[in-house]
Amino acid sequence: MATHTIDALGLKCPQPILKIAVKAKELQQGDMLEVLADCPSFPVDIKAWCERTGKTLLFCATDGEGKHKAQIQF
Amino acid sequence: MGKVAIVCNGSENSSVYPTFIMGSAAAATGDDVIIFFTPGSVPALMPGYLENLKAKGMPSMNELLEGVKALGGRMVLCELALEAKDVTPADLRDDLEIGGATSFIVDIKDAKTTFSF
Repeated sequence: MATHTIDALGLKCPQPILKIAVKAKELQQGDMLEVLADCPSFPVDIKAWCERTGKTLLFCATDGEGKHKAQIQF
Repeated sequence: MGKVAIVCNGSENSSVYPTFIMGSAAAATGDDVIIFFTPGSVPALMPGYLENLKAKGMPSMNELLEGVKALGGRMVLCELALEAKDVTPADLRDDLEIGGATSFIVDIKDAKTTFSF
């Protein structure tokens, strides 16, 4: 099991999810993916993506400046 | 998962951006994506055009394009475009398939989502 990080700060919808989907091809079951993003729709989009693709969204937290941090269990 | 068919009818940003935004979002959620370009989109299919396309407030077209391709999306140009626009496949970007309407219709028979931009 490995932990991977994607910095999607500054990227606009749907690029953060697109980056996650491309990265997902190389991840193994059990891997952890941490994503940083500040696209406004990210919290809703990442929840929808995880539901659709069968991944576990451990959390998606937003700080006071609109930066989101999500952790996904593959 | 599902299949999404997108028809792109022009080379303006108003055709090209939604094509690749919806296409990349669909590919990212695990759908098979097939984009069919009609002759009006030919100017956007010249080598390097999409890679260098930028618009205020919009995501990088190059990254959307690379994402669609990395996730198995297909891009098909209507074969009628060649004579209609006086171009050959060698004039156009090399990741395009040239295809006809009939095979596109057969290919998308099981597509539950379609867009035309």
